[in-house]
Amino acid sequence: MRNELRSTALEELKEAAACLTNPALEEWKSQGGKVIGCMYHFVPEEIITAAGAMPYRMRATGSTGTELSEARFTQVNCSFVRHLFDSGMRGDQAFLDGVVSANNCDHVRRLYDNWVAKVPTGYSHFLVFPKKSGPEQVGAYRMRLAAFRESLEQHFGVEISDEKLRAAITLHNQSRALQRRLYELRRSATPPITGAEALAVMVAGTCIPRERYHGLLKQLITDCAGAPGIDAPARVMVVGGELDEPAFIEAIESQGGLVVTDMLGYGYRACAKDVGTDGDPLTALARYQVLERPADPRLFGRTTEEREHYITRAVEDFGVEGVVSVRLMQCDHWGFEQTNLMRSLRKRKIPYLALEIEYVLGGVGQLRTRAQAFLESIVEARNV
Amino acid sequence: MSDTPAGTPASAPATKRGLERFRMYAEGKRAMITMIEESPDPNPVLLGFFKLMLADDERIVDCIENDKPLLSTWYGNANEICAAMDIQAYCLVDNILHLGPTQEDLDGMDAVPIPADMCGLIKMGAYAVEKGLVPVPTAMIAMLEPCDAQSALHEAWMNTPGWEGVPTFALDPAYGATGWDYDYFAGELRRMITFLEDHVGRKMDWDRLREVIEATNKQYEAWAEYNECRRAVPCPHPSSFPTSDLCWGLTQHIVAGQPEVVDVITMLAGDAAAKVKAGVAGVPGERIRILWADLVPFWHGPLSEWLASEWQANVVMDFQGYTPYEHIDTSTEDSMLVGLAKRCLNEVPMIRQARGSVDAMIEDITRITKDYTCDCVIFPGHVGHKDQSASVGFLREACRDLKIPLLILTVDNFDPRFTPIEELSRQIFEFFEAHGLGEGR
Repeated sequence: MRNELRSTALEELKEAAACLTNPALEEWKSQGGKVIGCMYHFVPEEIITAAGAMPYRMRATGSTGTELSEARFTQVNCSFVRHLFDSGMRGDQAFLDGVVSANNCDHVRRLYDNWVAKVPTGYSHFLVFPKKSGPEQVGAYRMRLAAFRESLEQHFGVEISDEKLRAAITLHNQSRALQRRLYELRRSATPPITGAEALAVMVAGTCIPRERYHGLLKQLITDCAGAPGIDAPARVMVVGGELDEPAFIEAIESQGGLVVTDMLGYGYRACAKDVGTDGDPLTALARYQVLERPADPRLFGRTTEEREHYITRAVEDFGVEGVVSVRLMQCDHWGFEQTNLMRSLRKRKIPYLALEIEYVLGGVGQLRTRAQAFLESIVEARNV
Repeated sequence: MSDTPAGTPASAPATKRGLERFRMYAEGKRAMITMIEESPDPNPVLLGFFKLMLADDERIVDCIENDKPLLSTWYGNANEICAAMDIQAYCLVDNILHLGPTQEDLDGMDAVPIPADMCGLIKMGAYAVEKGLVPVPTAMIAMLEPCDAQSALHEAWMNTPGWEGVPTFALDPAYGATGWDYDYFAGELRRMITFLEDHVGRKMDWDRLREVIEATNKQYEAWAEYNECRRAVPCPHPSSFPTSDLCWGLTQHIVAGQPEVVDVITMLAGDAAAKVKAGVAGVPGERIRILWADLVPFWHGPLSEWLASEWQANVVMDFQGYTPYEHIDTSTEDSMLVGLAKRCLNEVPMIRQARGSVDAMIEDITRITKDYTCDCVIFPGHVGHKDQSASVGFLREACRDLKIPLLILTVDNFDPRFTPIEELSRQIFEFFEAHGLGEGR
C-alpha cells in the first residue's frame, strides 16, 4: 500500500526496526551505556531504565536459519525461539550486556535456560510471572520485582532508588502517550501511516534509547499532520502475540486492506495503559503487569474480558471491518485464542481471518492470496 | 467404599449432557470386571482397580442424573481437598484415556477448530466439551500447569457454548521449589477452599482432610514399595506402562483417600516382591532396561509387546510411575496445605518434570537411570511437551555424562496416528543396533 507521507523520522524508525542495532543504540554503547535484552513482553523495562541501562526487546531480525538451534530445540518448538537462539549462538546479540526473561511460555522459559547455558551473557535474571491475575499475584510479583531490582543493583553497582523508578515510569509513560497519539491519528478516515509503518514505529521503540525515540516520534506525529492520508478499500485490525515483522502487515496491505489498529505484543498492548505514578513504584509496576495492562492469553482469566473490550473499541473507534489474527506455529496460547476470537467475532458478524506463520516470513504469495480473498469478502459484504 | 447407588439402567433416556458417555464408561468397566471374574485365574489387582474406577463413574452418573454438585478438576489440584469436602469431581479426559478414544473420538478431535500441532490430550479435552461428551460442571478448578495449552484449554472451555457461566477458580502454580513457593501455593489452595464453599455449597472438614491425607500417605508408600521392586535385575514385572497408569489412576483420578487403593497397590507390590525373591523376570531373558522419559503413551500396548518379544527389552520406569512422594504432616491445617502444595507442585507426574526450570527433569533422569540400572533412555518428544523438547540439549549432556545411550523421538503420547508404531519400531531398532544394546547381557 502506497503512502505519500514523507518523514525522515519515519525512515529512521523503520530502519531501526529492520535491523538488530541502529546508530542511536551504537552511540549509547560507545558512551559506555549498558543494554539489557528482554525476552518477550512481561519484563518491566522501567526497572532497567532506572538502573541507567537501556532495555532492549530481543528479536531475531535478519535471521536466515536455525542451524545452531537444532541441538537444543526440536521442530516442536516455535520458530521465534529457534531463530533467536541461533542468532545468539552466532554472536549477533553480542551487543547485549545482559538478558532478562520470564516464564512467558514453555518455549521462552526453556530458551532462557539454554541461553544462559550456551550464549555468553554478562548478566542474567529470570523473573517469574504469575499465570493468573489477582491481588495475591500482584503481591507475589512485587516481591519478584524487588529481587530483580536488587540483582541489577548488585551486578551493575548502581542504586535503583524509588525516585529513579518513578522517573523511569514517567519516561516510559511518555513513550506510551506518544504512541497512543500515533494510534489516535489512525482513527481518521484517511490515516497518515500504514499498519506496517506503525508496527515498525512500535518495534523501534524497543531498540532505540528512549530520549532519541521520543524526538523521532514527536517529529513523526508532526509530519503526519500534513500528510495526505491513505484511502483504503477496507479497514482491518490485526491481533496476535509476538510479531515484530512489518512485512507481514505489508502483505495484507498490499491487497488493499489498511491495518488501522492492532492488539499485538509490540503494538497497542504495549501502550494502551500507563503505569501508575502514585505510591510505591514497584507495586505500581506489579499492578500494571498483572492487573492493568491489556492481557494476552498467557495470563489466565482476563482474556475474554479484554477481547470483548478491544473488539468493541476497534469497531466503534477505528471503523474496523475485519479482523486478522496471527499465530506463530506451535504456540498453544494463541492456538486456542484464535478459536475464541472466531467465536466472539462470529457472534458479532465481523469477518475474520486466522493465519499461522513462521517467525521468518515465508510463503508470502500464499499469505497475499488469503488476504486478498478475505479483503474481497469484506468489500462484497459491505456492498450487499 | 461407595455409598452411592449404582448407575441408572442404560435403558433410561440419556438426555443430560455427558450422561450417555459416562454410562458407557461405567458399562465398559462392568464388562471388564465380568471378564476378569470369569477368567480362570482372576487378577485381584486389576479387579480391584476396575471396581474402584467403576465406583467413581457411578458416582458421577448419579450426580448427572440427580443434579448433584459435580466439579471439573485435574489431578494436580489437590483432590484430597475435594474428598474432604465431599465433592464429587471428574477430570474430563480421564475416561477417554483409560478406555481409549474411539475412532469417532479421533475423528472428532481432528474436527475441533484448534491447530493440528497441538497435543492430542488437549485436543481431546476441547473436543469432549465442544461435543457435549461431558457434563457441564457446577464449578471448575483450572490447572494452569504443566503446559501453556493446559491454561489455554480452560480459557477455551469458558468460551464454549454451555460452559460460559461455569464458576471457575484457577490455581496459580509457583515456578520454583522453595518454601516460599509451597507457602504461596498453599495460599492458593486456601482460596480454592473458599471458592468451593461459595460455589459448590459444601464445607471444609479439616478432620476429614486429615483422614484422607493419611490414607493417601499410605497409598504413596505402597506405590514406592512397588517401585522399589522394579529396581531389581531382572525387573519382576513387564513394562512399567500399565502399572504406572494403574497407580496414577488410583491415587489421583478417583475420590482421594479410599483405603481400598492401599490394598490394591499393596497386592501389586506383594506380587512384585515375591517375583523378585523367586528371580522371575517380567520380560523373560531381560536384556535391555529402558527409562521412558515421559508419560505413558496411550498406544503403549503394541510398543511394549514389540520391545519384549523382539528385544527382550523392558521399560523399567517412566515419568508417570516415578514420582517421589513424601509423607504429608497432618498435625495442623497449615502443615496439610503446605504438604499438599508440595505434592501438587513437585511430586505429580508431568508437573514435576515440566513446571519449573529444566533441573527436575535432568535430576530425575540421572537418578532413575542409576537406581533402575537402565541401559538406555528413550525420550519420546511428545508434541505437547514444548518445554521438554526445548530441553534436549540438557538431556544429551546428562546422558553423555552418565554414559548412557539416548534416543530422541517425536510422538504424540495421546494420538497413535502421529507416529505410526512401525516407524517407532524402526527408529528404536536402529538405535538398539547402533549402540549394540542387549548384546552383552
